[in-house]
Parts: sequence; structure tokens; C-alpha cells
Amino acid sequence: MNVILEGKKVSKWYQMGEIRVDALKGVNFELYQGEFVVVLGPSGSGKSTLLNIIGGMDQVSAGELFYQGKPLQGAEESAMTLYRRNAVGFIFQFYNLMPNLTAYENVQLATEIATDPLSAADILAEVGLKDRAGHFPTQLSGGEQQRVAVARAVAKNPELLLCDEPTGALDLKTGIQILKLLRDFNLRYKKTVMVITHNAGIADMADRVFNLKDGELASVRVIDNPKAPEEVSW
Amino acid sequence: MLWKKMWRELRENKAAYLACITVIAIGLMLFVSMSVVFEGLSDAKNNFYGDYRFADGFADVSGLSQTQVERLASVEGVGSLEGRKVEDVRVFAPEREENVYLRLVSIRPEQTVRLNDVMLLAGAMPAAGTRNILVDPAFLEANGLQTGDIIPVIIAGKQVEFTVTGVGLSPEFVYILRNPMDIYPDPATFGVAYSPLDVMQTLFGDDSLNDIIFTLAAGDTYEDVEGRLKPRLESFGLESIYAREDQFSEAMLDQELNSVQSMVTSVPLLFLIVAATILYILLKRMVEQQRGQIGILKALGYSSREILFHYISYALIIGALGGILGSLLGFWLSYPLMTMYKTFFNLPGLTGCFSFSYLVLGVLFSTGFGVLAGYFGSKEVLKLQPSEAMRPPAPPPAKQTLLEGLRLYWDNLTVQGKMATRNAFRNLGRSFFTLIGVMFAFSLIATTGYFLSITDVLIMDQFTKVQTHDVKVVFAAPTDSEAARLELSHLPGVNRFEAYLEVPATISQSWYEKDTMILGLEADSEMYSLLTRNGVKVPLPPEGMVLSQNLAERLQAKIGSRLEIESPYAEDSPVYSEVVDIVPQYLGSNAYMDIDALGRLLGQGRISTAALLSVEEGAFPALKDRYREAQGVFSVEEKGSMLNKFTELMESYSFTYWILALFGMFTGFAVIYNSGIVSLSERRRELASLRVMGMTPPEVLQVLSFEQWFISLFGILAGVPMTMLFLQGMASAMDNDLFTFPVMFELQPFILGTVGTVASIWLTLRVIFRKIRRLSMVEALKERD
Repeated sequence: MNVILEGKKVSKWYQMGEIRVDALKGVNFELYQGEFVVVLGPSGSGKSTLLNIIGGMDQVSAGELFYQGKPLQGAEESAMTLYRRNAVGFIFQFYNLMPNLTAYENVQLATEIATDPLSAADILAEVGLKDRAGHFPTQLSGGEQQRVAVARAVAKNPELLLCDEPTGALDLKTGIQILKLLRDFNLRYKKTVMVITHNAGIADMADRVFNLKDGELASVRVIDNPKAPEEVSW
Repeated sequence: MLWKKMWRELRENKAAYLACITVIAIGLMLFVSMSVVFEGLSDAKNNFYGDYRFADGFADVSGLSQTQVERLASVEGVGSLEGRKVEDVRVFAPEREENVYLRLVSIRPEQTVRLNDVMLLAGAMPAAGTRNILVDPAFLEANGLQTGDIIPVIIAGKQVEFTVTGVGLSPEFVYILRNPMDIYPDPATFGVAYSPLDVMQTLFGDDSLNDIIFTLAAGDTYEDVEGRLKPRLESFGLESIYAREDQFSEAMLDQELNSVQSMVTSVPLLFLIVAATILYILLKRMVEQQRGQIGILKALGYSSREILFHYISYALIIGALGGILGSLLGFWLSYPLMTMYKTFFNLPGLTGCFSFSYLVLGVLFSTGFGVLAGYFGSKEVLKLQPSEAMRPPAPPPAKQTLLEGLRLYWDNLTVQGKMATRNAFRNLGRSFFTLIGVMFAFSLIATTGYFLSITDVLIMDQFTKVQTHDVKVVFAAPTDSEAARLELSHLPGVNRFEAYLEVPATISQSWYEKDTMILGLEADSEMYSLLTRNGVKVPLPPEGMVLSQNLAERLQAKIGSRLEIESPYAEDSPVYSEVVDIVPQYLGSNAYMDIDALGRLLGQGRISTAALLSVEEGAFPALKDRYREAQGVFSVEEKGSMLNKFTELMESYSFTYWILALFGMFTGFAVIYNSGIVSLSERRRELASLRVMGMTPPEVLQVLSFEQWFISLFGILAGVPMTMLFLQGMASAMDNDLFTFPVMFELQPFILGTVGTVASIWLTLRVIFRKIRRLSMVEALKERD
């Protein structure tokens, strides 16, 4: 399988006055094209930091990071913007939709800037919100808002879909609907999906599971027969 | 602990608060400096008038004796009355381009208590019988003279030498003009000198007195006394009699005081309102953003009042800092301002000063405004329940805006444009304040810009379109027009001659009365034109009178009104004429008539007091030399040199306007900057999400810039009527006999306003752009509102 992203001794620390807080301590990892990765770990283990670095929102303090062989560490701000624009799609725990854009316009916001986008209307139909396209976020339920967020991330047609606790604010049933959407995208378009969560139940549907502990990659588990999203529970 | 929180927050947002402090400081600086100037001027005036017994009434006559003066002094209602001799003489100065004049005013050195007494600033009073004079300090300074110098003057065609023995000022010549048409004092060419009466009587070969000054006895009004004196004075050739308030120098001083006073109340208020608006927006935003913190404080047991006080203290501190800074700057500014006033007004004791009471007043004023803005900005605090406060606010309902109905507009918008449009409508309160801010900014810049451009228009119009003569020859006495034409029109270099008649008169219409000059012009005059507002020439009617707009207003006269005219030039006063037309006039306020009709009305035939000449280039010096010594000619004036003097003076004024325009621009910038920063901080999270999605900083900026430009467009549009309103207000405050500030729709100031506003917005957006680039995506997304 093709390696799409590779991290070599990725470290991240924050200087708080005289104290240095190490969030990531020399993590080595690879992400393959079309795989579904779940990153597990307790609070403070470095999950979000890893996601931010992979997502191009933050720079490494030390180490190297390659996207399709090209280095991301030390890249220009404009290069990072292009990377986020075309290579990465983000899904957050709290959706982060634009409150004054409708569901359709929120998706359009993404398709307008991407180089090879999918059709905003199609994607919205795929997430089952065809009839709610003209609604504003405040007029949608949490699950519906997260589906808009998924549609928005997917519509850019990115190689890498990064999800930060995508089900964290949802009930089980709604959460599973979201996971199903993510898995569908992953399988249908052969795109890499990385889900960050402290919810171990989700790990059962992954191809591989990263376990982070104290800023280090404690283990990588390969699952040969991952469960379907409908089968997982927590 | 709350204080610590406040200081840290003030430091974090220092640019926004500094801008606010600066706007307050500008307002207070203007308030304090103008107040000090006002108080200084009026105190100096009152003291000077009181100590040197400024007269309550004045009369010009052709001549009466000392005995007759003494008889007048016993008229009922007269406190004391003195007769003087007042004559204008030309200074012998062949090396000078322009003519230099001195007004000789007689004094009686032997008398100890004098009306309109002279304050001796240096040197000694001239003794009776000596050809010594006291001279006003401005004239001496402008001509490089000092005590002990000799000034040669021409009296009755002969050269007479006076020795300057001292420097003196009198309350009647605080503002020194040779004649009211001059507008600005020009101490280099005109001054006042005080000479012993007996010397003047000898030199002029005439013992009579031609100038009466009097005070009122307690309890009598000027009108009563004028009524009693007038018939008695008429037999001595009364030319005019007027009250102190109409005395030229006093009228000018009073007008200046009035306009300073109206500035004291209006201009600083404007800046304070702007500052209060900024503070309001800042605090409202802070309270909204710190909901969670407020909830925690309440949960901890802080009372609503304590928290409210905490937020109001921001405003208090900013108001106080701005107030102190502004007041101190105001005291500092009062010194150069007073120095400027000194060049116009000869008042002893004019100096800037520090006044503790104005400091206190200023600070109270600014903190009061601050607290008011602070209270309204943060009163939401009172309503919040702690549990509610710790939850994010219910999002405002998002809905379709009216503009979405305009498909053509809406469908062509980028998504950023749609966001911006909806934001503008969703936060109506804040959009409204931004709009007000832009409107103020625009109006401030445009208003000051208007004064910059209009003064030029005033002067240039007067000298290039209204008065188009090259040379004006003023006669010593009214002269037969034909004789003058014969004398002047055939001189070498003279292309055209027009007779010109200036008649001092009191014009009245029912209860309204005004002293003015009636100007008699030739019917087909090419060198003095009456113009409409749009610069179209108004033909002079063969009969009847044309009034300037503000004279007509003062007389409440309309076309067709019958005017009663009293003039020393009239054979039989009063005479009557009808208003035929009313024209705008920006410099001065006069009445106009056909010169022949005016001569007939006065029963004088074809007379003129001056000639307007159009001459070939280079012909002026010869003309001037020819009439320098002539008895029948009072002066030969070249228009070009007057125009230069005006331009110079205007330049010194325009500096003030530029400063005001800069203040306006800064204030405009401060408003726009703050509302921009508030927008940014309210939407950090939204904008960060856009960055995460892969939008470039310029693309993210579009959301804010579109909104800013969108609101500003309406702000600028609203600023146009607002500017006209400001101008109306300022014009009516500054309106006087000398100037009428026309409020016209001029494009230039609005262009300046637009450019200034657009530049402020652009600059603000640059700053915001920098902040967007630095926006930490990780931080912004971590926050959960």
C-alpha cells in the first residue's frame, strides 16, 4: 500500500515560561492510502497535538513529516494553506459550522476553494440532508450539524480526512450514522480516514489502531477483520 | 484581583483602548484650550473695558466746539461725554510699495479721568503742545519702530514729524481695521496713534471736534439717550451714532467670543460622543465574550454590582486618562492659540494658562461620558444568572435577510459575501454602531475639508469674479463723478474707469435696523459684479436696491419691502427705497444700487467716493506716485496686493483646518479600527475554522472586509446629510457681518471625506489581516465559546 503521510521522530513541545511541556516525544508513524485509522489515548496523551500537526494547523518542534514524499516541517505558511485546502478535510467534535450560512452554503464554502471538489448537492444528499439544505445550523439537530460538517470535509475530496472526536457530542445511534458516513467515504473513494477518540469502542471498526500514551506511540494494532460501523458500540 | 484582571486586559487590547483615549483626549484638548481662550479673552476684555472706561455710545459729526460738547454732557441719561478729534493721515514712506496710514486720536494729557483711555504699555504720555504720540504696539512691531523713533506723516499736504514717546492701547482699538471692508488687521499699513488735542487742532488748522464718546448714567438705556442726543447732534453734521455693541472693534471681538463659545460646546462634544460610542462597543463585546467569566465570578459570590463596577471601571479609567491627558494638552495648546489671538486682538493680558478648575471640569466631563458609555455597554451583566452565564449564549437566530430577495445581488455573491451580508444584518446593533462611526468619521473629515476648500472659494470669488478691478482710487471726499472720469480715464495705462460710491447708512425695515454700506455701481459695471449662488451675473436694476442675503435676513426684508435709509450723505434723511433683488454675499454684507439712482436718492447728483480702474500691467506704480501727495485722493490701492495678503492670512488659517481635519481623520480611523477589531475578536473561531479548511488569509479577510465595506458604504451615504447638518450648524455659529459661510454642495470635501474614510478602513483591514495571519487555529478551535 502507498504511504500517504510519514512522520519521523515527530516531537512537539510548548514552552510555558521556564517549563517545557512535551506533547509529542519523537513519534514515528505512517499512514497508508485508503486505510481507516483510529487513534486512542487518554486526555493529555498527545492525540489532539498529533491531529493538529498532521492537519497542518501546527508545526513540529523537531522531527520530520512527509506528505506524499514532500516535507511539511518548516513549510511556508502559503504551502500549509494549500495543503489544508486540498489534502485535508477536518471534522470537529463541535462541528464548527458557520452559523450564518445554510447547510448547503456551508458545504459550498469548501467546494469553492478546493481544486477537485465533489458536488456539494450530491454530498449533501449522500449524508441524507437533501431536504435540509436551506436550513441554518441553529435549525438543525446535533447529528444533522455533524453530517453537514462531514459533508463539508468530504466535499473537498481530500486524501486525508481527520476527525477529532466526531461522535463525542452525539448519542450512540447518531454517532454510528456519522461513523458509517466516514467509513463509506473511506471505502468508496479510497481515501484515508483518521479518527481521534478516547472511545475504545470505535477502534473495532479500524484497519489499524494507534495507542498514544504520554506523547509516545505506545502500540500500533492491525485489525484484519474490522467490524462494520453498525456493529460497534460504546 | 479584579483590578489585576482589568490591567492585563487593558494591556492586551492596548491599541483599541489607546485609540479611545486619544479620541477623548482630542475632544478634551479642544474643550479645555477653547475654554481657556474664551475665558482669557472675555476676562481680558472685561478688565480692559472696565479699567479704561470704554464708552457706551459713539457719534461721528462734522464738527462742534468744546462748549457745545460740554452742553451735550448735561443731556439727561448721559453719564459723561467727551469730544475728540479723530483723523486718518498718511505716513510719509516713499520707499514703501503700499500706502501706510495712521489714525490720529486726540487725547487731553491734562485730564486725569478719560473715556476710552489709553493704557500705557511703555514710554511716557505725550505732553500737551508737543508733537509726540503714543502708537499701538502692533503697528510699531510690524514696522520695526520703537519709542524715540520719528514717524513723518502728511497733514494738509505738508509733512509733519511725530516722535513716538510711548506704546499705548485703548479699548476701542482692540481689533484694528482701517475700514470695515478690510476684514483682517494689517498692522504694517495701518495703526492707531494718540496725540495731544491742542497739537492736532493746530496741525489741522481747526479747533472743532469731530468725534463724540459717552457713557450712560445708571438706569438709562442706550436707545433713550440716543433719542435725546440725536436731534442735538444733527445740527453738527451727524454722520453716525451707534452703541458700544455696534462699535467695530467690539463687534469683532464679540463675534469671535461667540464663535469660540459655540465651538467650546459643539466640537468637543462631537469627539466625546465618538469616544463614548467606541467605549460602548468595546465593553459590550467584552461582556459578551466574558460571559463565562462573569458566571464564574457570580458563582464565587461576587455581586452583580461589583461585577458591573468592574466593567465600568474600564470606562472610568479610560475616561479619566483621556480627560487628564486632553486637559493637559489643552492647557499647552492654549498658549499658541492665545498667541494667534494676540495677532488679531490688541488686548492686554492675553496668555494661555493652566486652570485647575478646567482640569477638574474636563476630567469630570470625560469620566462622566465614559461611565455612561460603560454602564450601557455592560449593563447586561446585571441580567445574567450564574448558571446561565456559564453556558454559551443562545445563538442569535440565523435567518434569511431581506437582501436575499434581490436575486441578482445575492446570486453573484461569493460565500464570504453571503456570510458578511448576513453578519451585518444579524448583528444589527453592532452594524448600526459601525455605521454611526463611519458616518461620524466621514462627516468630520468632510466638514473640516469643506472649510479648507470654501475659504478659498470665498476669497477667490470675491477677487476674481466680484471685484475685478485692478486699482481702486479712493477719494478724500465725495467727488463729482464726471470730474473724476475726466481726470482718471485718460491717464496712460488706464483701460477702463468706473465710478464707485460707498455710502454709510442706517437701513431700517419696520422694527429691524442695520448699519451698513450702500454701494453705488455703474449700471453696466464690469469691475464689480453681483452674482447668484451659481456665479451668474445679476443685472443692477435702474431703480431700487439689491440687498445681500444676510443683510436682508437681518432686516427681515423681502423683495418689494420698503426700506428707510438714513445717511449723512443724504440731503434729507430719511429717504426710502424698495428691495428689488436679494443676492448672496460671502464677504461683508452690503446693499447695492445703481450709482446714478443712489445719487438721486441722496439728492446729491452724480457723485462718487472712489474710482475702479482697469489698468495695463505695470501702470500701477506711476498711478500711485501721481496721487501720493494729492489732497483729493485718500488712497490708491492695488487689488493684487490685497489678494496676496488674504492668501497669506488664509494660509495661516488653513493650518488650523488641516489640524482639525487630521483630528477628524484620526477619530474616523479610531472608530473604524475598533469596530473592525471587535468584529474580528467576535468571530475568531469562525475565521479560524475557515483557515483550517484551507482558506488563505486574504480569503478569510474577505468575510470581514466585505462586511466592513458594505456597512461603510451606507455610513458614507448617511455621512453626506450629516455633513450638511454639521455645516449648517457651524455656518450659523460663525455667521456675522463680515463672513457668511455659504453651505453649498461642494464635491471636493466629500471626495476628501470618502478618501479619508476609505483610507481608514483600508488601514484597519491591513491590521486585521495581520491578525488573521497570526490567528492560532489550534487555540481558536479549542475554545468552546
